[in-house]
Amino acid sequence: MTAVNTTLPAHPLWDYVWKLLKLRVQIALRQFLHAPKSRKIGMAILAVLFVGFLGFLFFSSWWLLNFLTSSKLAELAGDASGFLNSLPVMLMSVAFLGILLTSFGVLLQALYLAKDMDFLLAAPVPIRAVFIAKLLQAILPNLGLISLFALPVLFGLGVSAGYSWLYYPMVVITLAALALAAAGISSLLVIGVVRLFSARRVAEVLGFMGAILAMLCSQSGQLANFDEMNSEQAQAAMQLATRYNTPWLPLAWPGRGLVALGEGNWGQALLLLGFTLGLAAVIFAVALVTAERLYYTGWASMQVVSTRKKPARQRRATPGEPTQASLLERVVRLWVPGPVRALMVKDYYVLRRDLRNLSQLVTPLIFGIIYAFILLRDPQIIYGRGEMPEFIYQAAQNLSLYINVGLSLFVGWMLVARLAGMGIAQEGKSFWILKTAPLKVSYLIAAKFLVAYLPALLIGWIFLLALAIIQQSALSILWFTMPAVALLIAGNVGINLSFGITGANLDWQDPRQMQRGTSGCISSIASFIYLPLGFLLFFVPPLGFSLFGLPGWVGQLVGLVLGGVFSLACTIIPLRLVSERVMQLGEA
Amino acid sequence: MPNLNTPLIETLNLVKRYGSKTAVDQVSLTVHGGEIFGFLGPNGAGKTTTIKMIVGLLQPTSGSVKVAGYDVQVQPLPAKAASGYVPDEPNLYAKLSGREMLRFVGDLYGVERSQVERRIDELLRLLDLTQAGDDTIDSYSHGMQQKTAIAAALVHDPKVLVLDEPTVGLDPKSARLIKDILRQLADRGAAIFLSTHILEIAERMCDRIGIIYQGRLIAAGTMDELRAHGQAESSLEDIFLGLTGGAEYAEIAEVLG
Repeated sequence: MTAVNTTLPAHPLWDYVWKLLKLRVQIALRQFLHAPKSRKIGMAILAVLFVGFLGFLFFSSWWLLNFLTSSKLAELAGDASGFLNSLPVMLMSVAFLGILLTSFGVLLQALYLAKDMDFLLAAPVPIRAVFIAKLLQAILPNLGLISLFALPVLFGLGVSAGYSWLYYPMVVITLAALALAAAGISSLLVIGVVRLFSARRVAEVLGFMGAILAMLCSQSGQLANFDEMNSEQAQAAMQLATRYNTPWLPLAWPGRGLVALGEGNWGQALLLLGFTLGLAAVIFAVALVTAERLYYTGWASMQVVSTRKKPARQRRATPGEPTQASLLERVVRLWVPGPVRALMVKDYYVLRRDLRNLSQLVTPLIFGIIYAFILLRDPQIIYGRGEMPEFIYQAAQNLSLYINVGLSLFVGWMLVARLAGMGIAQEGKSFWILKTAPLKVSYLIAAKFLVAYLPALLIGWIFLLALAIIQQSALSILWFTMPAVALLIAGNVGINLSFGITGANLDWQDPRQMQRGTSGCISSIASFIYLPLGFLLFFVPPLGFSLFGLPGWVGQLVGLVLGGVFSLACTIIPLRLVSERVMQLGEA
Repeated sequence: MPNLNTPLIETLNLVKRYGSKTAVDQVSLTVHGGEIFGFLGPNGAGKTTTIKMIVGLLQPTSGSVKVAGYDVQVQPLPAKAASGYVPDEPNLYAKLSGREMLRFVGDLYGVERSQVERRIDELLRLLDLTQAGDDTIDSYSHGMQQKTAIAAALVHDPKVLVLDEPTVGLDPKSARLIKDILRQLADRGAAIFLSTHILEIAERMCDRIGIIYQGRLIAAGTMDELRAHGQAESSLEDIFLGLTGGAEYAEIAEVLG
């Protein structure tokens, strides 16, 4: 059989890579050009601010490094040159590990979830070009981001230490080589992991871990006590960085090579940088060829761990047989209609099983724990009485007890913003199931309300009780604060659920796009106004009564009536206003 | 015995406009109990829009839809309780298992729990999903998801079943099974309204066929009635192409030329 004559011009490999990368750039450019004007302006402002920040980073690094190398400081705090020489070592290591970790997620998306691989591999494009383009696509944004932070510091170090001019281009080349090696290793890791677990599940776990880690990192500063850090601790931290700069650690070689190059130690520089660049090239080439082969042979697509089949479940009761329901179940069945129960059970399953949702739900708990810890670390808000009159002192003491309510509300608020604000939107493209079912709007709203309200209330109360026990608050405070928190959370759920209905986006692919920005923003503002106002209505009467020497319990009762009416109004009225809209959702 | 005189789906002068574009224009049709009605039309003709108005997913601009005698706009709950719907894309709750999904739908439609469990077992067995019943839907293939959507539409034993391209993505065995199920449901008195692009299915399965083109119902009737209106075309394909135009075929020849 003779082959069919095709007219495909021969191009070098890099032509194809360039074509594929150009396509990505075109897509990004098109997205920017078709974005709303407000987003374009926002991005332009962000870019200007970013450039300004980089300039600031460069000059501040320069200044700081000059200061650290000054002879006066050396006299006072000892020689900092060891620490300064270890800076490139640390930055290069962080860049390598950072790109290794971040490109894992990007490559997982690019190789398995983007769904363009079949199209690209079926096209008359060399498979190697496809993989090189995918790897470059994975590292370029991360490398760009890391370079933007690392380069000003490294260049600042070069200027302050008077390094050779060769140092500057080699910093960029070394960073790029390390990034390529990291992405190569990352691609093999992705293929290996996806052989064991489904790509979608890995992406979910990665998103969950990333969100929790980011959250912990951003809040860990709250726990750290930098104010009490002494010079010995600072010196110990600097020594730790210096100790990392060891010739036996391969990750230290690029940084040490750069310092050697800057200082004019040509032999050491050639050896270390040559070895780094050579090793990076070998790692990249081997990873590229291996990944390409594993993918093309189908090895990377065959999962070795099949989904474990669960044994067939035994039904709780045979049809027609009355079930043995607990008292709680019977009460719930009596008071909560079947469709509402069904919706609540469905939502709890979905929320619990989707890790992307779970990360959004765990965040308020982390916040709560961190801020509870901070509060408990220093529970006293009044240090000494001074010349303070008795009644003001008492009022301040009472106010401090009510601060626990603020913490409970804060934790509850964050949970409510997620559960109520996105209660309807989380139905997404499955909303047709509810819309075609004989489901009353009031049942749907009631279910979504309870799904948000019950966990928020539970967590709010747990925080309140735990703090009350630790701080040994009086029972009279607790019996008042618990219903107050319950009512305030109810109003907050009503507000968030209402705005969630008006701004629901049912076409989301990513859970972060569930709610339209403006609606989420207005919802936050409304909650921000509602909660302090409700707080005042609940707590000003008891504080006022105690100020004037009147019975505290009467003040609490007045507070409960005023705050309760306000909270219930905020629960019911917004939901009534938007209830008509619910069944029109999805009719674009 | 099925009552063929009971109209279970009635649309009267149904119109849906999106701004200046009229997606569905004065569509009036009736489907009786015991009847399978095939709804045909080229892409973008208004099939899915009509179906969405019938099942209460879209509000008509004007006109009315009655399902099982209830106006979908005025009495949506009894109308929806009588109908089951299978969309063209089975967007189900990915994190529920097939069994949980069916139980949820049964609860939404107010079916007794014991009856739901029995029905779920029957449907899972019938649709060859028993093994996968406790796995989450995101692990299902497209065909399995489609079959789960069909099972969900059947949990409450509806009088009216509306299906939008039900055989897309199904293997021949499953497609045959679905056709048999629909025939049996119709024989038991249900009204089946299905849209399809596979003209062979429409020709062999449907008692009556409606053809929609550019939003207007341009023909409706049995195969014999359609043949009588056409220009001596014998197959449904010829009738369909004759009614909806075939100018594009000259272009195809030109492009491939």
